[in-house]
Amino acid sequence: MSETRGHALTLREVSKHYGSFTAVDRVSLDVGQGEFLTLLGPSGSGKTTILMAVAGFVTPSAGSILLDGSDITPLPPEKRNFGMVFQGYALFPHMTVADNVAFPLRVRGLSRADRDAKVRAALDLVQLGQFAERLPKQLSGGQQQRVALARALVFDPNLLLLDEPLSALDKKLRAELQEELKALHQRVGRTFINVTHDQEEALSMSDRIAILNHGKLIQHGKPLDLYERPRTRFVADFLGKSNFLEGIARLPTAQGFTLEAGGLNLAVRGTAPGEGARCLLSLRPEKIGLIADGATADNVVEGHILAWAYLGTGYSLRVATPSLGELRVALPAWQATIAPSEGLAVRLGWSADAAVPIEDDAA
Amino acid sequence: MNDTGRVSAGWWLLILPAFLLLVAFYIAPILQVLAISFTDPEPGLGNYERIFTSGSVQRVIMTTLRICLITTALSLLLGYAIAYAITLASPRAKGWWLLAVLVPLWISVLVRAFAWVTLLRRQGLVNNSLMGAGVISEPLPLVWNEFGIIVGMVHYMVPFAVLPMLSSMREIDPRLLAAARGLGASRWEVFRSVFLPLSKPGILAAAVLVFIFSLGFYITPAILGGGKTLMVAEWISLQILDLIRWGLGTMMATMLVVAILVTLAVFSRIVDLRRIFGSGG
Amino acid sequence: MDGTYPAGASRGLAWATALYLVLPILIVLPVALTDQRYLSLPEHGISFQHFRTVLTSPAWLGSIWQSFTIAVAATALSVSAGTLCAIGCWRISRRATDLVRVLMLLPLIIPSIVYAIGLYRYFGPLGLLDRFLGVVIAHGVTGIPYVIITVSTALAAFDPRLEQAARGMGASLSQTLRWVILPRIAPGIFSGAIFAFIHSWDELVMVLFIASRDVFTLPRRIWDGINENLDPAMAAVAVLLIFFTLLLLLADRALRRRNEG
Repeated sequence: MSETRGHALTLREVSKHYGSFTAVDRVSLDVGQGEFLTLLGPSGSGKTTILMAVAGFVTPSAGSILLDGSDITPLPPEKRNFGMVFQGYALFPHMTVADNVAFPLRVRGLSRADRDAKVRAALDLVQLGQFAERLPKQLSGGQQQRVALARALVFDPNLLLLDEPLSALDKKLRAELQEELKALHQRVGRTFINVTHDQEEALSMSDRIAILNHGKLIQHGKPLDLYERPRTRFVADFLGKSNFLEGIARLPTAQGFTLEAGGLNLAVRGTAPGEGARCLLSLRPEKIGLIADGATADNVVEGHILAWAYLGTGYSLRVATPSLGELRVALPAWQATIAPSEGLAVRLGWSADAAVPIEDDAA
Repeated sequence: MNDTGRVSAGWWLLILPAFLLLVAFYIAPILQVLAISFTDPEPGLGNYERIFTSGSVQRVIMTTLRICLITTALSLLLGYAIAYAITLASPRAKGWWLLAVLVPLWISVLVRAFAWVTLLRRQGLVNNSLMGAGVISEPLPLVWNEFGIIVGMVHYMVPFAVLPMLSSMREIDPRLLAAARGLGASRWEVFRSVFLPLSKPGILAAAVLVFIFSLGFYITPAILGGGKTLMVAEWISLQILDLIRWGLGTMMATMLVVAILVTLAVFSRIVDLRRIFGSGG
Repeated sequence: MDGTYPAGASRGLAWATALYLVLPILIVLPVALTDQRYLSLPEHGISFQHFRTVLTSPAWLGSIWQSFTIAVAATALSVSAGTLCAIGCWRISRRATDLVRVLMLLPLIIPSIVYAIGLYRYFGPLGLLDRFLGVVIAHGVTGIPYVIITVSTALAAFDPRLEQAARGMGASLSQTLRWVILPRIAPGIFSGAIFAFIHSWDELVMVLFIASRDVFTLPRRIWDGINENLDPAMAAVAVLLIFFTLLLLLADRALRRRNEG
C-alpha cells in the first residue's frame, strides 16, 4: 500500500436545500489524487452535508459530484466504494473487531481466506493485530478510532472520508492521532477528505483546507497560504487569531500603499486598493514585536499593557494604543525582553508585509 | 445508590399494604388451589400421571402448544414489520402508527372477539361478501375452529410483540446503518447483518411475552373456538365449573404456572426481563 | 440522512398489519347502526334503535353502573397500594426490593384463569362470592402491577436528592411524600389509575368464577350475549365501550402532553 492510488474528486456547483434553508450553496471544489483535504468550518457551515453528499447519504439539490471525471451523483452509497470513518466511529457493537473490519469484504463476497489476510493486514496497519477478537466496547476510544480506520481502508476504497474523526477523544490523544493519521495518509497514498471544526487539526494534518461558512466555500488553499494570506475577515478570524485595522488607502504604488488609520500612516505591502478606498487589514498577533527605545520598524505604535497571560511557550498581551485601539500581541517567551505587567508602556512594531488587506465579510 | 444503611423503617411501611394484599389475596388463593392437585380425589401424584396416560389431557396440551407457537411466530412477524415501519417513519407518521398499535391494545378483548365473530361466522361479513362477489359458493369455515382462534389471538398479541421490539429498535444507532451502506452493503445486507442482529433482544423479549400470554389465554380462544377446539385455560374452567373435577383442573393449572415460570427463568438468562415488563425503575 | 433504511416489502406487510389491527374493530360501528334485527351491515339506512335498546334496558344499565362502581373502587385500591409500594421500592435499595417487584408483577404473568379458580375456592369460606367487595378485591389486587409500572417509570425520572434535601430541611416522611414526591409523580399515578380502571372495567375471567347473580358486570353480560344471542345490540354495546376506552386514553394523552409541555 505505498504507491499513490488516490482518485480525484470534483464538486461542481453542489447545492443542498432543506425547504427554504440552504445547507450548501453552489460549492465547487477539486480534490487532487492522493491529497488530504480538510473541510473546515463552524457548525452549520455545511461541511458535514458536503461530506454526506460525497458519501452518497445526501442527494444534492443541484450540481454534480465527479470521481476521476465521471459523474457519481446518482450512485447509492454502497456503489461508490468510499471508505468512511463516522463521528463516534459507528462500529457494529455485536461484531468483534475482526468481524467489523471484515464486514466490507464480506458484503463484497470475498472468500474467507482472502478476507482473513486483508483483515490481518489492515489491523496491523493500525497496530491493533492483537485485539482482533475483542468487542468494540472492550477497546479505548483511541483504539476504536483505529478500528474504524482499518474498516474504512480494508477494501481499497477510492476515497477515505472522515467525519470529525478525532472529536470524541481528549486533547492529548487527539494530538497523537493527528500525527498518526497524517503518517497513515502518506503510507497508503489515498485521497482523504476530512471534516472538522478544529482549526489546529486542519492546519496540522491537511495538504489543503477548504473553509466554509453558511454553506458557502469562502477560501481554499494550503494551510500556510490560508493562514498567511486570508482572503476575508471570517477566514482570518476562524483560522487562528487576528487584529483588524481599518483605514483609508493612500498613495498606492507597485509594492504597496499607506493605510491612514487613527492619525497614523501605516506601510502595507500588497495589492493596493484605489486611492482613498476604505480598507481592512488583518494583522496576526505573533507578527507584532516589542521594539526597544530608539530602534525602528516599518510601523511603530506606542501603548500600554492592559492585560497579559503567560502561556508557557510565550506571553499573550492585550495592549491599548491611543491611535489603533486595542491590539493583541503574542510574544514568544525567548524573545521577551521585558517582564510584562499591567500599565507598562511598550512600543509595538511590525514590518510592512505583516499586515494583509482582506475583505470584510463579517455578518 | 443512596445511604442504604440508614433507610428508615417508614419506607418499608409504604411497601406493606401492597405486600399484604398480594400475599393474602393473591398468593394464598393460588397456592391453596394449586395444592388441591396433590390431594383430590386422593393424596398423591395421581393427577400428574394423567399427563402420561390420558389421551384427552395430552391432546389439550398439544393443541395449546401448537396454537401458541403459531400465534407467537405470526405475531413476531407482523409485529416486526410494524415496529420496523414505526422506527423509520417520520415523527408525524410515527404517531399514527403507534395509535394503530396502542388503541387495539386497550380495546376490550371481548369487543375484539365479538368483532371477529361478526366478521368470520358462516353468515358473517367476510363470507357474505365473498359469496356476493361470487368468489365462493359455500361459506368458508373461518371461526369456531383453530383458524379462528389464531386470527383472534394474533390480533390480540401483535401490540404486545411490537412494544419490546420497538424499544430495542429505537436503541439502534442510525449511523451504524449508514456506516454499513457506506462500506458497501446493500439495503438488504444492512438489514440482515446489522439491523436484525441488533434488534434480536427485542425479538426474544417479544417472543417470551407473547408465548407466556398465549399459554393461559382464555376469552378469545373460548369465543372463537366455539367449544370445539379447547386450549388449556378453557379446559381448566370446564373441569372445575362443569365436571367438578378439581384435582384434574388444578393439576393443569399447576402445569400452566410451572410452564410459564420455567419459560421466564430460562429466558431471563438471555433476555433482560425488564425489557418485557416495562422499565419498572 | 436520506435512504439509510431498507424498506420495500416490509412496508406492505406493516400496512397490512395495521389494517388487520384496526379494521375489525371499526367494523362494529356500521353493524351497530344497522336497520336490521340481526348482525349485518345497514341495508336501507342507518338506525339508532340498537343503541336505544341498550340505553333503555335496565339490565344493561344496571351492569354498566355495577362495572363502573367496581372499577372505581378497585382503582382506588390499586392506586393507593401500588403508589406507596412503588415509592418504597424506589427509595430502598434496588437489591432488597427486587423480590418485592417480581412479586408485584405476578398478576401480569400468571394467567387469570389460575387466579380465578383460586378465588372461587378461597372466597367461599370468607363469604365474598358474588359480592361487590369480593370483585373489588380481586380487581384491585390484580390492578396493582399497572400502577407500580407507571409510577416507577415516573420515579425513575425523579432526582432522589430532592427527597434527601426535603428530609434534610426537616420534613417528615409523610410531609415529604405529600409536598415533594407525590406532586412530581402525579402524571404517572394518573396513568396507572387509568390502566387499573380499564383493567377492572374489561375484566371477565375472574368475574365468571366469583360472581353469578347479584354481581353481573358489563363484560359478563357481553359474554352471555356473545354466547347466547348475537344481535346488533351487542354491537351497540361494543361501540359504546370503544368510545369510552378512547376517551380514557385521550385523557391520559392530554394529561401527559400538558405535563411535558
